[in-house]
Amino acid sequence: MNDTIPDYAVIGSTPMARLLAGLLAGAHGKQVIHVGESASSYRLPRGIDLSTAVLTRPESWSLLLQGIEETQKLLRRIGGRGTWTYVNPIFFAEGARAVEALSHMGHMARAFGVAAEPVPTSLLGNGRTGLTLRDAMRFNRAQLEPAIDTWLDRQGVRRLIPDKVTVRTDGSTSLQVSGDVIEAKQAILAEDSAIIAHLPLPQWPRLLRRQQNSTILTTPTRPIASPVILEIASGSMLLQQGEGGIAGIGPNDLASFAAHMHALLGRERQVEQAGQTSFQALVTADGAPAVGRASGVGADVVAGFGSIGPFLAPSVARWIAGTAARDEDAWLGARLITRSAENSTVGDYAPVGRKAP
Amino acid sequence: MKPQPNRLPADAARGFGGAAIDRSLPLTFRLNGLQISGFHGDTVLSALLASGVDTLGDHLDASIGLTPRACPAIYPAGHAGDAAHALPMARTPAVNGAEYVIAGARRTNPITRLFRPGRRLGLPLDQPHLLDEPWRGRAGTRETETDLVVIGGGVAGLSAALTAARSGLSVTLLEASPIPGGHSGLFGTQEGEDAPEVSMAKLREAAEAHDAIRIICRAHAYAIRPGLVRAHVVDLKDGKPVGRVIDLAARFIVIATGSRERLPLFAGNRLPGVIGTLDAYELATRYGIWPGQSALVATSSNFAYRLAMLASDAGITIPRIIDTRPGAASRFIEFSRAYGIIQASGTRISVAECGRAAGTLSVTAEGSNAEPFITNRLVVCGGWQPDLTLWHIAGGTSRWSKARHRLEANGDLDTIALAGSAAGFFTRRACIQSGADAVDALLGRPRKPVEDVLIDPLYETPDAETAIANPVDGAPTYLDAGAEFLTRPQPRPRSWTNIFRRQKAGLTALSEAPQPLAINDVAAGVDLGLIPPEAAGLVAQERVALVALGAPEGAPSITADSPPPATEVPPFLSGRFGPEAQVVRIIPSEQRRFEPGTLIYDSADKKNPMQAIGVVLRPHGNAAMAIVARQAASNCFTVNLRDHSQAFPAKVALEEIAS
Repeated sequence: MNDTIPDYAVIGSTPMARLLAGLLAGAHGKQVIHVGESASSYRLPRGIDLSTAVLTRPESWSLLLQGIEETQKLLRRIGGRGTWTYVNPIFFAEGARAVEALSHMGHMARAFGVAAEPVPTSLLGNGRTGLTLRDAMRFNRAQLEPAIDTWLDRQGVRRLIPDKVTVRTDGSTSLQVSGDVIEAKQAILAEDSAIIAHLPLPQWPRLLRRQQNSTILTTPTRPIASPVILEIASGSMLLQQGEGGIAGIGPNDLASFAAHMHALLGRERQVEQAGQTSFQALVTADGAPAVGRASGVGADVVAGFGSIGPFLAPSVARWIAGTAARDEDAWLGARLITRSAENSTVGDYAPVGRKAP
Repeated sequence: MKPQPNRLPADAARGFGGAAIDRSLPLTFRLNGLQISGFHGDTVLSALLASGVDTLGDHLDASIGLTPRACPAIYPAGHAGDAAHALPMARTPAVNGAEYVIAGARRTNPITRLFRPGRRLGLPLDQPHLLDEPWRGRAGTRETETDLVVIGGGVAGLSAALTAARSGLSVTLLEASPIPGGHSGLFGTQEGEDAPEVSMAKLREAAEAHDAIRIICRAHAYAIRPGLVRAHVVDLKDGKPVGRVIDLAARFIVIATGSRERLPLFAGNRLPGVIGTLDAYELATRYGIWPGQSALVATSSNFAYRLAMLASDAGITIPRIIDTRPGAASRFIEFSRAYGIIQASGTRISVAECGRAAGTLSVTAEGSNAEPFITNRLVVCGGWQPDLTLWHIAGGTSRWSKARHRLEANGDLDTIALAGSAAGFFTRRACIQSGADAVDALLGRPRKPVEDVLIDPLYETPDAETAIANPVDGAPTYLDAGAEFLTRPQPRPRSWTNIFRRQKAGLTALSEAPQPLAINDVAAGVDLGLIPPEAAGLVAQERVALVALGAPEGAPSITADSPPPATEVPPFLSGRFGPEAQVVRIIPSEQRRFEPGTLIYDSADKKNPMQAIGVVLRPHGNAAMAIVARQAASNCFTVNLRDHSQAFPAKVALEEIAS
């Protein structure tokens, strides 16, 4: 009877979690359950899917660039060209260390053939240094989500919204759905909220820290300098929405982030809030992603990938399924959730907002 | 032409002559240069509607009706666009000789004006912010602290204010209308109750007579947190209306903001001439306004039948009542049958369009092969939603009631309580009791059960879900009648011919809407299947229009940073060049400034970053500080720095480095 128990329950509603579930089922022949709401069409965004980030390590750029190509092909099959747009995001920094980190990132991007150009100060404001990266892919989640759900069905992934999820310390999980209990051999907690909600506390990794984040949507206002602007020091993002509003996502509670967002947009700009929410997010202490089993034996954790997560989903899926290429194996193997943040040799730029108080 | 074509006679039956206006005191004022007539007691909006101005502007190529919930701010002439002088049309008393302008209005087409003189305000509603409330961005003036602020001067709010005052609390009551009393009049009387007008008057007089109660009328509360309410108030100063923003500090707050009427969803549901039953009732009974001689009624609730009978008594022809509920029963339905009003049950409106004759609508019911109805007015009722806007702003939660097709408050807040229909009660008696109960709850006193006794559904059919027509071509379908103009989301048609079309397609997903979602928008989203019922409360709270009160003046800067010491190695470089990597100086062969991040190679031919043996940390005088792998950490070791595709030779120096 053990054969009927699905191999994995992937828990998380982000595109990365969905892609992982579909790839494990479709490309690796696993029996997979996906647990996650399709809420992008009515909830405020809590993150962004963007094919670039503040990466400073060459092995990360190398893996990401391979992943972008593979993910793009996958998306063409899943939902077609309308599920993403190309944008030229602006990364900007204030403060000496952040400006240096931005410069490191720019050099690394150019070295990998990604067009990275300085942004005129007039577009950003005095004291800010900016960098535009050309032709980054940005997912249109509201369009992509229903397409991925259809694709998951085609891959044979069972999609569930359970009443209760229990993740055990051996990594297995049971899902209560309308009075029935469905078991899975291994839980993959692939979204911050899933890790916070379901990872057994005794297995909580020292690497992960909770952080209060907020999203604020403004009423329509004049366009910002780029559809995506990222302030690297705090990890705050400004996203130009299709209908003229601007969504801001960043650390801190609503009141503090509202004040910070207003400062980012410019004090002279009159905006009203059209939506707002506060939520718990997770960050890794060294700024690098984390994968692998909690305490080495528990549920699989996928955390800290930020905006590039879905572009690395094919690599993570191969790694979990045990078919990763050597470079993937090395990269992911060095980023285990059980690693120590002290003297980390894989750490990447960590926004100031991420540091422990 | 009559100066006020939409005003009913002063002696119109059922109070439809207008209780708030004094016809012996006529007045005129100007709006955007147009002369508008009215009476003392009118608001600017009611005078406009009485004068036949019924069109707010155009949105997505369709006309939008001017209604109490969708009207722009006005400015005294000479102050256009100045938020400090902005006034709300619906709360500003009409004053003789005043001159106002609307910011953003465009002059209408001269040919249109020739045929339909003065019907349109001409707002290009595709532009955002035209119906914004400019005072929302202003800071409030702190008023004297009070024990309790009651928001809403209906029967529940008045009851709460009286209960608190009789318990020794100082009370400030905020009411948006010129006089307190509320909207109970439309809903009639249940067995054992006073007439609503009697009930409202008794409570009003008692509250006005109580020394501990301060009533502020023409006040709209729009921001709230525990201990503080912010409101915009219109006062008359030297005979001129002026607006001000006030902050009211209070130990306790009661939210008694009533219910919002839902808008049935059909194409053309916001055309001029389409109006909700409560707005139609209030305009008639307060200001004697009823455009045209005929009105078609479409409802999923019993109270529209009562309005139809009252209007019929006042001389309005009601050709038909369309009810989505098959075989609905109600005392009002029985009475309206006795009036000879034709009832069509189990059907709904499919589409409304502007009629050929000015001031008419052509209305088609679903499944009907008959000719469309031509009517002056379409009175619609899509049910009632407790107004939880301020509750959500204050941090209160709510959940969807499948049985009653509406969001209802869930849980408590420590110092804020709901009362009346905002708290979900239906009957007037329960609303009055709930006002007292809210105060008891806040003061921690023993509570008495609120008796909300409804007539058996066998005799009084409950409200049905809001009617939703099948999508058809025509004017847009709006989710609510407010200022947000959210249209029913539609998937964008995928056709190559789209490139020749103007893109005014409307929303494809609610999450893309850049405006707040009013509570009725969320309710409509649930009815349309766009929002799962279990997520409705979250979405309503997430998308409420929030004005931050008491936000920190300047959030602590998280970008503040001092320059790093010359030898500091950022954590993201840790381990990158091996465990024995070393910080060195790099002296370029030619004078050149190298940026942080410039990659260092042991050969000019190499450019793969994976082969880099070091990286520049930061410039340092005429040289640069760098971290390099062990094999390069020796004096005079030759390296190449690759900057923008070019390689520049340099040498390593290991001498003592000053930070």
